Amino acid sequence: MKKNLFTMVLVLTAVWVCNLSAAEKTLQIEGSTTVGPIADAFTEAFSQAYPDVKITVTKNGSGNGAAALVDSRCDIAMMSRFMKLDEFTASVDKGIMPVAHAIAMDGICIIVHPSNPVTELSLAQLHDIFTGAVKNWKELGGPDMPIVAISRDTSSGTYETFDHFVMRKDKMDASIEYVSSNPQVHSRVKTTAGAIGYVGVGFLDAEVKGLKVNGIMPSKQTVAGGTYPLSRPLFLFTNGYPALGTISHKFCTFYLTEKGQEIIEAKGFVPVTKY
Amino acid sequence: MRFIIRHITDKIFTALTVLSVVVLVAILAVILTPILWKGFSAVVFTGTIEFRKMQLDLFNRGDIDELNKENARSQLYRKKIYDTIDRFKQNIDAETLCDKAAQICRTFGKELQRKNMPGAEYQQLRSLSREIRDKLQIAFNSSNKKIVDENIKDVLKYKTDIRFKDTSAAELFAIAENFAADIKNIDLAKRQEYAYALKEFENITVKLLGYNPSTPVPALKMNRYGATRLNIAKKILNQLLLLEKWEQTSPGKPMVKISTPRARLFAGTEIEPLFDYIRDNIDEMLIPKRTFYWQYLIDSSTPGHYFGGVGPEILGTLLLTLASMVFIFPIGIISAAYLAECPSDNFIIKIIRMAINTLAGVPSIVFGLFGLAFFVLYLVPLFGGPSKPCILTAALTLAALTLPVMIRASEEAIRSVPQSYKEASLGLGAGKLRTFICVILPAALPGILTGIILSISRVAGETAPILFTGAIAFGPMPKNAFDPTCTLSYGSYDIAVGDRLASLVPHNQYGMVATLITLVFCLNIAAIIMRAKISRKLKGQ
Repeated sequence: MKKNLFTMVLVLTAVWVCNLSAAEKTLQIEGSTTVGPIADAFTEAFSQAYPDVKITVTKNGSGNGAAALVDSRCDIAMMSRFMKLDEFTASVDKGIMPVAHAIAMDGICIIVHPSNPVTELSLAQLHDIFTGAVKNWKELGGPDMPIVAISRDTSSGTYETFDHFVMRKDKMDASIEYVSSNPQVHSRVKTTAGAIGYVGVGFLDAEVKGLKVNGIMPSKQTVAGGTYPLSRPLFLFTNGYPALGTISHKFCTFYLTEKGQEIIEAKGFVPVTKY
Repeated sequence: MRFIIRHITDKIFTALTVLSVVVLVAILAVILTPILWKGFSAVVFTGTIEFRKMQLDLFNRGDIDELNKENARSQLYRKKIYDTIDRFKQNIDAETLCDKAAQICRTFGKELQRKNMPGAEYQQLRSLSREIRDKLQIAFNSSNKKIVDENIKDVLKYKTDIRFKDTSAAELFAIAENFAADIKNIDLAKRQEYAYALKEFENITVKLLGYNPSTPVPALKMNRYGATRLNIAKKILNQLLLLEKWEQTSPGKPMVKISTPRARLFAGTEIEPLFDYIRDNIDEMLIPKRTFYWQYLIDSSTPGHYFGGVGPEILGTLLLTLASMVFIFPIGIISAAYLAECPSDNFIIKIIRMAINTLAGVPSIVFGLFGLAFFVLYLVPLFGGPSKPCILTAALTLAALTLPVMIRASEEAIRSVPQSYKEASLGLGAGKLRTFICVILPAALPGILTGIILSISRVAGETAPILFTGAIAFGPMPKNAFDPTCTLSYGSYDIAVGDRLASLVPHNQYGMVATLITLVFCLNIAAIIMRAKISRKLKGQ
C-alpha cells in the first residue's frame, strides 16, 4: 500500500514534469523593484485582454534585470536607470541589442518625519547631509535634533539616480543607514523624528512629509517637465525592437494607450505623455 | 551534608531546565501568536458589501440576487453623498463651468448657422451670446460677491428675450441661476481652499465607498472597490472625520500633531452635514457581515496581493518541496550509504566528509547564485531546455542546499542499524546490495525520515536560493516543471519590499506568513506521523 502510494507520487511527478503542453505565448519580465508595480498592473490589464498569454514578473533589482536580458533569461528587463556601459557592451558582445522604452517618469522625493518644520532643501544641503558634513537639523533651520539619514542599498536604481544627482562623485558618510526597499525607507522615516530619506514619488503620502528641492515640489508637472531636479525616466529593455504585433511589442507600447497611462498614474508615477 | 548539597544542586538543575523550557515556549508564543492571530484575520473577518462585490466580479462567487438587493439598499444611502459632492463641485470648479458655458455658446452659434437667418441678425445674436458667455465666465472666476451678482444679473436680463427661447442658449441661463442659488452659502474667496479640501474628501470617500458611479470605471481592480473590511473602513472613516495637521507651536522645536474635525473646512456649506451623515449611516452603506473566507487558500491574487488569496503560492511551495524531495531522497540515501558502509576512513572519505560539512555552512544566497550559473544557464540548456528560471532549476538548487542535512541524518540512521542485522542477512547468503535495500534501509527509514523532515522545513521556507532560479512575484499557476512559480516565502519577501500597497492590506501580509508557518507545520506533522507508523511497524507492533 505504502509502496503503491510512493510509486503513484513518483509517476505523477514524472508526468507533470514532462507535461510540456502546447507552446503557449509567454513573456518573462525581470528587474527593478521600482518598475515592478507598473509591470504587475500591466500584466493585470493584459490578462483580461489576452487570456492565453502567460506573463510572469520577477522583481530583483535593475542590475539583475540587465544581467537577465544579457543571458536571455527574460524577454523584457525592467530598469529604473539606463544600462551602464559595461552592461551594454556585454550584451552587444553576446549579440543582444538592448532597446530602451521609456514608459514613465519618476521623481525621487526627499521625505522627512511630518513633525519636521523644515520644508525645503537645496541639492547642496542634501549633499552635505549625506556626506555627513551637516549632522543636526539646527544647521538647516530646524529644531535641535540629530539627522538620521537613510539611503537605499547601493544595488538599487533609486540609489544610483540619487548618487548621480546629489552625491556627484562623493562618497556617502559611514553613519548613513542603508535599507533595501522603498517601503522600508518609508516606514523608517515615518517612525523616526529626525529621519530623512528618499523614495519614489509614488510613496509620498500623509504619513511622511515631502520636501521641496531647490524650491520645487515634486509633482506631476514638475517631474514630467524636468524642472524638479531629481526626475528620471523608467525603462523597459528588450532585445532589439520587439517584432510588430507580438505580445512583447504590445506590452512595451502599452504605456502609450490611454489605459496604460491611467494605470501608470494610478500607481503613483508620471505618464510620459498627456492623455 | 554532602548528600544534601547534591540534592539541592539537583533540584536547582531541574528548576533551571524547566525554566529554560518555559522561557522558550513563552518566546515562541510571543512571536508566533500575533502572527498566527493576525494571519487568521485574513480568513475570518467582518466583510462589507464591497468585499462581496469584489468576490462576485473577480471570482464569480456569491449570490447575485442577494447582492443586488443589498446594493440597492446601500445606494439609497450613498446617493445623497455623491449628489451633494457633484453639486458642490460644479460650483467651485470655475474651469469646468467656464468650459461648459463656452461649449453652449459654440453649439448656439452652429444652431444659428443652420437657421439661415439674415446676416445682421445673426451677427447680433452671435455677439450677444458671446457677451453673455464672457460675463458668466467673469462671474465664475471672480471671488468678489458683488462682481458675481452684477454679472449674473446682467446675464439674467436676457432670460426673457424671445430670441433665446427654445434654443440651446437657454441652458446658459439655467447654469447662471443654479450658480447664483448655490453660491449663497459659499465663501467665494475660499473657493480654492474648498476645491483642495473637496478633492481630499472625495479621495477618502472613494477609498471608503468605492468610486462614484457617475465617473468612469477605474482601470485597476484595486481602485474599483471601497473598504472591503470593517476594520479598514473604520480606519478610513476616522481619517475622513478628523483632519491631522502638524503645526509649529514654538520656533526651533519639532512640530506637533493636531487633530481637528474635517467638517470645519466646509463650515456653512452643504458638505458639512455630510460628515455626520456618513458617520451615522456607515453600516447601512457598507452592510458589514461576518465572513469566513476559506477560499483565501485557493484564490489567486491581484498585483501587490491587494485582493485575493495565496492559492498559487501554496501550490508553488508544495510543488517545489515535492520536486526537491524527489532529488534529495535518492541522492541523499546513496551518498549516506557510501559514507556509512565504506570499509575505512581513508583520505578520500575524509575529504568528502569535510566537503559535506562545509556545504552545510554555505549561505543560501550562494546556492542561489550557483543554481543560476549552473542549473539555469548551463545544465538545462545542455539538455536542450530553455535557459529560463523554472521549478526544475529551483528544485535542483534547493536539493543542493539541503543535501548535507539529509546525508548527515541518513548516515547516522544507517550507522545506528545494529551490525547483527547485516551479519544475519549476509550469513543467509544475501549480497551486499540486497542486504542494504531489504534489511538496512527499512530499519534506518525512521532516521532517514528525520532528515526528510528537516529538509522539508528548510526547503519550504527558503527564499534566497529560489530568488534567481524559479520564483516569481506575480504570475499564473505553473503548468509543468519548466514554468516558474509563486511561492509563499518569496511572496512574503515581495510584499515587504515591492509595493506601497502592502501597508494598506496588512492582513494579507500576515496571512501569507501565517500560511507558510502552518504549511511547514502540517508537512512536518505528516512526516512525523509517517515516521511513528514506520517505527511501530519495525518494532513488530
